[in-house]
Amino acid sequence: MSQSQASVTIDELGVLHIKGVLDHSSGALLRQQGEALIRANTAKKLQLNCAEVEKSSSVGLALLLAFMRDGEKYGKTVEVSQLPEDMRKIAEVCGLTDILGIEP
Amino acid sequence: MSADDAFAVELKAVTFQRGSRKIFDNVDIRFQRGKVTGVMGPSGCGKTTLLRLMAAQLKPEKGEVWVNGQNLPSLSRSDLFDMRKQFGVLFQSGALFTDLNVFENVAFPLRVHTKLPEEMIRDIVLMKLQAVGLRGAIDLMPDELSGGMKRRVALARAIALDPDILLYDEPFVGQDPIAKGVLVRLIRLLNDALGITSVVVSHDLAETASIADYLYVLGDGQVLGQGKPDELMNSDNPRIRQFMQGIPDGPVPFHFNARDYRDDLLGGR
Repeated sequence: MSQSQASVTIDELGVLHIKGVLDHSSGALLRQQGEALIRANTAKKLQLNCAEVEKSSSVGLALLLAFMRDGEKYGKTVEVSQLPEDMRKIAEVCGLTDILGIEP
Repeated sequence: MSADDAFAVELKAVTFQRGSRKIFDNVDIRFQRGKVTGVMGPSGCGKTTLLRLMAAQLKPEKGEVWVNGQNLPSLSRSDLFDMRKQFGVLFQSGALFTDLNVFENVAFPLRVHTKLPEEMIRDIVLMKLQAVGLRGAIDLMPDELSGGMKRRVALARAIALDPDILLYDEPFVGQDPIAKGVLVRLIRLLNDALGITSVVVSHDLAETASIADYLYVLGDGQVLGQGKPDELMNSDNPRIRQFMQGIPDGPVPFHFNARDYRDDLLGGR
């Protein structure tokens, strides 16, 4: 999958979906997309669903952290869900499971 | 001809020489994807040359070097630049920038090769330093670090861009036993957790054999032997046995070629 297919979207239930390949070429654009959606949404609690991530480097984890910081900045909670195996492994080796609220 | 997908790197019938000396003479070496492969052999057997061939810093006289399905000698300059992003290298010296602190050393490849915003660079640097146990050393300068810490910071920098292939050039040289143990654990952990293909070039037998899934022993321009560490330990080949068991004399002689000793002492010159 090319970087043009990576995206952050929000569905009618207010769930954020991060999709595609999360890497050094797609990271900067996804960062902007995610922040804009979190800022614009009025819900106090947002779920960030990662089920459609095809592949991720550490950039994907940095994005999740950035979206969590956005949540705090705009007075919301962002909860990560459906983390794929490659992201989970990076999270474990980098000690992020507690911070991201995922089971080790 | 394309490379087998099971192997991240393949050298096919490679010949490389310096002057009249053949460093590699028609050798085939393959590095299995997602595994730790050790490359061992006595000093001067071409271990570092092998890494430089894999990173396309050197070109073979003959043969092919395939990396993730691309034959390096056939790539353009810009394709080679992109290909090199798939590699992380832990240099023997560590090669930290002495004027940059730990944070900036690890951030350096991210600043050069990506357009990520500063906050994400900071996150990634902290993640990598956490992985090697040195997040607390973020503000220190290289000359404030022990040798083992320097090697770990260099390792954090080597994985900053999430390489597919990680090359370790003599990672254990000059390290005390504790630092060696830490590095052994980190190499295995990063390989398994991040799905990296690791190539460990070393003549530190115990450490390399303890983490390698597969080993090559090089010498005289050839692959003297290859296999799982325990297979090589029990090899019938006297050259491999001499190397694996650290026997000082054998097919690789203790004495450098010299004229007859008696003649040398009593025969006059």
